Amino acid sequence: MKRILMIKIVLGCLFLACLYAATISDAQQAQTKAKQRAEETASRSSATGEERFQANCGRCHNAPEDLSPREARAVLRQMRVRAMLSAEDEQSILKYLAP
Amino acid sequence: MADRFSWTILLVLCGGFSAWAQSNTPIISGGAAFLSTTEGGATSMQPVIAPVIAIPLGNRWLIESRDDLRGFVSPANGASGPYQAQFFGTVEYLQVDYTATSQLTITAGRFLTPFGIFNERLSAVWINKFPQNAPLIAGIGTAGGYSDGFMARGALISRNKYQVNYTAYFSTLSSVKKFESERSTGGRVGIFFPHTRLQVGTSFQRSLQDLRQNSVGLDFTWQPYRVPLQLLGEWAHAPGGQGYWLQAAYRLSRFRGADSLLGRLEPVFRMQQFHRSELIPGDSLPFNGTQRADFGVNYYLRHEVRLNTSYAREFSAQGDKNSWNFGITYRFLWPL
Repeated sequence: MKRILMIKIVLGCLFLACLYAATISDAQQAQTKAKQRAEETASRSSATGEERFQANCGRCHNAPEDLSPREARAVLRQMRVRAMLSAEDEQSILKYLAP
Repeated sequence: MADRFSWTILLVLCGGFSAWAQSNTPIISGGAAFLSTTEGGATSMQPVIAPVIAIPLGNRWLIESRDDLRGFVSPANGASGPYQAQFFGTVEYLQVDYTATSQLTITAGRFLTPFGIFNERLSAVWINKFPQNAPLIAGIGTAGGYSDGFMARGALISRNKYQVNYTAYFSTLSSVKKFESERSTGGRVGIFFPHTRLQVGTSFQRSLQDLRQNSVGLDFTWQPYRVPLQLLGEWAHAPGGQGYWLQAAYRLSRFRGADSLLGRLEPVFRMQQFHRSELIPGDSLPFNGTQRADFGVNYYLRHEVRLNTSYAREFSAQGDKNSWNFGITYRFLWPL
């Protein structure tokens, strides 16, 4: 009787361990996927920013070196007027110049 | 109690101003250059500083200006004699911009006349690939280059495949020193295709004083994706004459990248023609029909420094001439 009880306890522990491992693995997988998605989105948006920079700004000049986010924001405010950038282009290029 | 209240208000105001300043950093940018030209055995030099100030005020307002402080150092007797220097300062633009909607920005003040692509986009000394001289037709439709009045501009339609941008302005007659302008109206409409990086545009200007003449222009810019090539061109017509310029620049960045020794080189070529149809005094155009070819090489050093050398041959009824140019330009940008 005791032996059966011990086996049940061990099996129960094993089941719980498996369940826990599966849950953790699912959560990790979900986390990894979310991270990958975020990275993909960020790289896509940065690529779009670079493309938009080359298409709109690269016609006249190269990308300025070492811009801080504050400087980049001010430059983009000015270039939005001068180069007639759309609001979407301004945001994409801002992310590219000061990620 | 009142002291504590005033201190709290002051702290809140300081915090608010600090947060506002973080998102509205004024900047000073622009270019400095030293240019030299040798024509007919006489060498002249031009030190130039062109500061640009931009002050954002909130999300919609922007104050911006560009000045051109330039010296002309040349022989006193034309080709020989001791050198003499003259210095000039020009306010190229000093304008207030209000972004009303995503398609409309309203500008008031002094601005660069929006005709073609050279005056507004390429005239800055750190952008122009031949900084010593403007195209022969730069005087068509630009009313001296600067206008005082109002302007509406923006990206009218913005799609993935194409964008339509526009500019319309009215300028008043001004004889105020440093703010001289002509009474005129006009504008430009451009279509830009981002996938091919091709832009074509057309410009119109009507002078509203003296001869009341019309000027029209066409322009294009093309930067293919696959090769580091830039092609630009402009054609313009006014009662005084018509002409065009075509420019090609090829950056040798395919040779071990844009930062390699060879990849920093950029050969540039520009050809232009101007045909005089009627002599109109003071129209800023060549006296006779003129053809000119410019061959140049730009070298992009680190830290926004560029060296440029070029040779030009000009043919006109007034006499053919050679022009040898050398320049160094530096582009700067600092927060204020």
